[in-house]
Amino acid sequence: MPATAYLTGLGRYLPGEPVANEDVARRLGGVDKRTDGLRARIQRANGIRQRYYALDDEGRTTELNEELAVHALEDALADRGIAASDLGMLACATTQGDLLVPGFASMVHGRLGGGPMQTLTASGVCAASIAALDAAVSKVRLGDHPRAAVVGSELASRWLHQRRFDGVEDHLDAHFLRWMLSDGAGAAIVEFQPRPDRPSLRVDWVRQVSLAHEHEVCMRAGLDGPTAVAGRTWQDYDDVATAEKAGLMQIRQETAVLDELAAAGLAQFEELVDRGLVDLKKLDHVLCHYSTHAFRDVVFDALSTRVPGMDTSRWFSNLETCGNTGAASIFIALEEAWRTGRFAPGDTILLAVPESGRFSFGFAHLTVVEPRRSSR
Amino acid sequence: MTSTEASTATSRETSTETVEGYRPPQPDRAGLLARLADVWTDFEARLAEVPILRALDDGDVTVADYQRLLHNLRQQVVDGSLWIARAASNFDMDHFDLRSGAISHALEEHRDHLLLERDYVAVGGSLEALRAGRKNLGSQALSGYMFHEASKPNPVGCLGAMFIIEGLGAQKAGVWARRFQEVLGLADNQVHFMAYHQDADAEHTGTLDAILTSDRIDDDAADAIVTCARVVARLYVMQLTELDEI
Repeated sequence: MPATAYLTGLGRYLPGEPVANEDVARRLGGVDKRTDGLRARIQRANGIRQRYYALDDEGRTTELNEELAVHALEDALADRGIAASDLGMLACATTQGDLLVPGFASMVHGRLGGGPMQTLTASGVCAASIAALDAAVSKVRLGDHPRAAVVGSELASRWLHQRRFDGVEDHLDAHFLRWMLSDGAGAAIVEFQPRPDRPSLRVDWVRQVSLAHEHEVCMRAGLDGPTAVAGRTWQDYDDVATAEKAGLMQIRQETAVLDELAAAGLAQFEELVDRGLVDLKKLDHVLCHYSTHAFRDVVFDALSTRVPGMDTSRWFSNLETCGNTGAASIFIALEEAWRTGRFAPGDTILLAVPESGRFSFGFAHLTVVEPRRSSR
Repeated sequence: MTSTEASTATSRETSTETVEGYRPPQPDRAGLLARLADVWTDFEARLAEVPILRALDDGDVTVADYQRLLHNLRQQVVDGSLWIARAASNFDMDHFDLRSGAISHALEEHRDHLLLERDYVAVGGSLEALRAGRKNLGSQALSGYMFHEASKPNPVGCLGAMFIIEGLGAQKAGVWARRFQEVLGLADNQVHFMAYHQDADAEHTGTLDAILTSDRIDDDAADAIVTCARVVARLYVMQLTELDEI
């Protein structure tokens, strides 16, 4: 028999001051007329009003990705009232850690401190968050660890700065993400018992599925075309500078297939309903990570036709104010929804994280539960 | 059933009131297994009155209660194989089979506390704090009594202690494990100690029954076994009742 897992503390960290749309170019550069036009168009479409960068006006990185992760973890630990030494496991999700070697989780653990613990680095893009959550929840449910922490953390701004674009072959598909991604971290504490003093979020199930077997890469860096071939990745060039000049160090998005991604995500949602994992009559909140408001409308409209009484009060996203922070996004959204009192005991919550990388989807279903109390 | 009723129900050993007045306790010449069955019935009734076990039955426990129970049991469990080994060393060659039995039993039990410690850590307890713990008042009495009994020459009475402790493992521990799992949503990985004892001790009680029904148990030995079982039953209840009383 497995134990039950609960999210008992949540935290987030967004570096520096919020950066409004009109100030983005001052941080990232790219003030020529063409870039400016592209930026304005992409910002209008994605609906993000402000975001955070661990980058100063000179384009210098102000904090490491591992520092963002540790700040969010410390916030979550403080929310729960425990210390890093209470953790048995640390699962970290990020698209790109600060270093090539060793793994991100080792670096985060080194900075966080605490005692000996199991670490896991889930690398990928947005849905890596759910993969890390799944690992922590599974180990807690097995009874291997009483407490674990999960963190999603991104420091994309280094990749988006003008210096990654100067002297590089121009690729229109590198602009979509340049004006969309930003920095931040979100964390959760996972335990085998609900917290004693306040409600917790019981993790009913976690599910992650890849459809890479039937899709080419949709979002990529380090590859010069849609298909991976020996000799054509960034590590195969004569030197890294050549790879960079060829545009391999930019994060590029095949925007033409994004509609297909939304359709595949909705099909995955229908499968959850079909398998009885989601009860349409008892789905109180949906927190969906999406890169742009265009998808919000597509997904929201589709869900509204399926979920009775689905209205905007049951839908939560903070993309507009926190930006698209990739693997951190879902935790940053959950933390805000939790902290601002959107959830009541008994409510059910669906977390949904579609990842365009190569078509994968992460979902988790939560129920708000009261503390367990003894009458003695 | 209250504990008073329970003792009345099993008064064969202690009924001292007659119409003529006080009568000192008389030897009970019923079969040993029947006498021990009465001891067990009485023990079960007493266990049902133990606050933490009643709360467990009612589903009114927290993970702190489970930790508390493990913490208190651990301090005495570490002594288990010690007194069995001491008993083994006190059996002479005429009791060679009992010596063998005790030696192999001590061997099987001597790592028991490691299972308990794993469970304690798996539910968020600190191994250091657990190992730094002290015996509660009941554990003090139980452990002290067992070492005393085991130190006697040919300590056949210790079979009575085994009857209670192994019976507890075989018949009660598994039920407690499942109930803690149900109420607190614990994983199998967090109840090894109690769950393991259900299987291991069922095997041990089988071996024990064979010894108890053998020819070598004469009347004196039977009396010693029954008395030891009754004392251990009461002290075990005391151990479970006096939680954290050190």
